[in-house]
Amino acid sequence: MTPKQRTAPPFSPVLLAGLAMRSLPPVLLQPALDAAMTAIRRRRPGLFDRISCLENPRFLIDPVDLPFAFILVPGPENPSLRALRKIDGDMDAEDATATIRGPLLVLLDLLEGRTDGDAQFFSRDLAIEGDTEAVVALRNAVDGAEVDIVGDVLSLTGPFAQPARRAVDMAGGLFKRAHQDLEALRASVISPAMRRGKAQADRMNKLEDKVNALDRKRRKAGAGKA
Amino acid sequence: MTARAPLELVCPAGTPAALHAAVDAGADAVYLGFRDETNARNFPGLNFNRQELEEGLAYARQRGAKILVAINTFPEAGNPGPWRSAVDDSASIGVDAVILADIGLADYAVRKHPGLRRHLSVQAAASNPEAIRFYQEAFGVKRVVLPRVLTVAEIAALNKKISVETEVFVFGGLCVMAEGRCALSSYVTGVSPNKDGVCSPASHVRYEDQGDRLVSKLGDFTINAFDEDEPAGYPTLCKGRFVAQGRASYLFEEPTSLSAARLLPELMDAGVTALKIEGRQRGRAYIAKVTAAFRAAVDAVARGEPAPDLDLGAVTEGQRQTAGVYDKTWR
Repeated sequence: MTPKQRTAPPFSPVLLAGLAMRSLPPVLLQPALDAAMTAIRRRRPGLFDRISCLENPRFLIDPVDLPFAFILVPGPENPSLRALRKIDGDMDAEDATATIRGPLLVLLDLLEGRTDGDAQFFSRDLAIEGDTEAVVALRNAVDGAEVDIVGDVLSLTGPFAQPARRAVDMAGGLFKRAHQDLEALRASVISPAMRRGKAQADRMNKLEDKVNALDRKRRKAGAGKA
Repeated sequence: MTARAPLELVCPAGTPAALHAAVDAGADAVYLGFRDETNARNFPGLNFNRQELEEGLAYARQRGAKILVAINTFPEAGNPGPWRSAVDDSASIGVDAVILADIGLADYAVRKHPGLRRHLSVQAAASNPEAIRFYQEAFGVKRVVLPRVLTVAEIAALNKKISVETEVFVFGGLCVMAEGRCALSSYVTGVSPNKDGVCSPASHVRYEDQGDRLVSKLGDFTINAFDEDEPAGYPTLCKGRFVAQGRASYLFEEPTSLSAARLLPELMDAGVTALKIEGRQRGRAYIAKVTAAFRAAVDAVARGEPAPDLDLGAVTEGQRQTAGVYDKTWR
C-alpha cells in the first residue's frame, strides 16, 4: 500500500511547528516515543488485549500537519512506536496493515477519547486506508483504555509529575491562544476568496437547476413520443 | 404544563469506559453485549467479557443505573451453546434484564431463569399487538423495543392495546429495514447482523482515496463515492448511492441519523416507557455527549417544558438528522 497525503493540513500552531521541525532527524524523537509507550504499557496493561484478534498489525499513523508519520506495532508484549520522515519517502515503503490520517490534534483527541472516531470520519477530518477491521479494533481498544497520554508520560517523572503537569497545562493555554490567533488570521486572509467562491457556487447551483429542468423537459418529451 | 415522571433513558456501551461515560452522563440504564456473535454489535475489539460485565454492573448499581444485556442475534442451527451461556451468565451475574430476539432462546430463558427480566429486542421486529401479546404470554416479556417503522400515532394506538412497556429509539444509526429480517449484508458479505451480529462487517469494507473523492466499498460492491467536502456515511447497502437510469441517487435512505428529540413530549403522551440511544459501536465521547444532551431533554420534558434543541449535528452520520418514520410525511 502506498498511502497518499490527501487530507489538507489545518492552519495551526502544529503546522508551523511541523514546518520548523522538517530537518529534524526522526531518530531524535525516538526516546520520547519509547517513553510514551513504556508509560502507556505500564498504566494500561490491557490496552492491546482488544486487538488480539489481529495478526501482527502495523499501523501507519499520519498526522497531516507534521513532517513525520509514525509506525505503531501494538504487540501485547512489546508494543512499539517509531517515527519516520515523510520527505524521505520512508512512508511509502512501509508495509502497513492500515493507515490512519488526520490532523495531530484530532489524532490526540481520538487517543484520549475526547472525540468520536465515527464523527471525525463523517466530517472527513479523519481518513483511513487498508484493513478497516484492524482500524476498528484499534479504535475500540484505544477508546476503551481511557488513555491520558500526558498523565501517563508524566507518571514516569515521579515526584516531578505535579509541577510538570502545571507546566503542561500552562503550555496548553498558550497553545490554545496561539490557535485562536492563527484561526483569526486565516479567516481574515481567506475571507475575500470565500466571498468570491460563494458567488460562484450560487451561479453554479442556478445553472445546475436550469440543466436539470431542461433534462426533465427532454425526458418528458421523449416519454410523450414513446 | 404539569410535571410527570421522566422517560427512562437507555444508553449504549461497547467498552467499560463507555459504560462509565453513559452512567456518569445520566443514563438510567446501559445496554451492552458480550464479546461474541450473541449480540448485534459484534465488532472487532468491542464489547464485554464476563469480568468486565461484573465490574460494570457494580459501577452502575452504585450510581443507581441498570444494566441490560443484549443477546439479540439468532442462534446458529445446532449450536445454541454461546447464546445459552450468555443468558446463564447474565442471570448468574445478576443483570437487570436480557434483551432477546429468538423465540427458542426466550423459551430457554423463561424455563431456566424465570426470575430474569426479559425484554424483546428490536431484532424480533414485533410491531403489532398480536405479535407483542404472543411474546408477553409465551415468554413473559416485560418490555418491547419497537422497530423504527411506526409513526408516533401508531405507537400511541399500539400502547393502548398492549400491557407491556415499550421502548423506542430516539437517536443514532437509522436502520430503515425490517430489523432481524434484513438480508442485504448477508447477500453481499455472507455475514449478517441477525446471525453473526454485524451488519456490513469491517472485514469486508474498504475505503479508497481516489484524489477528489472517497470511495467506500463493501465486498465487491461500490457503496458510495463522496466528493472532497461531502460528509461521509457508513458503508451499508441500505444507505448506498447507486446509479440507476444514468443518475446516482440514494435508493433506500441517505446517510443520516435518527433524532427524535423534538418529539419527546409526543412520545411521552403516546405511553412510551423508555428511550433508546443507538451506538454501542461509537466512542465514549459520543456516548457522553448524546447521553448528557438527552438527559437534559428528558428532564426538561418531564418538568413540562418544551424539548430543547440538542446540539448533536456533529456526531450524526452524514452530519444530517431526521425524525424518520415517527414523523412520516411521505405516505
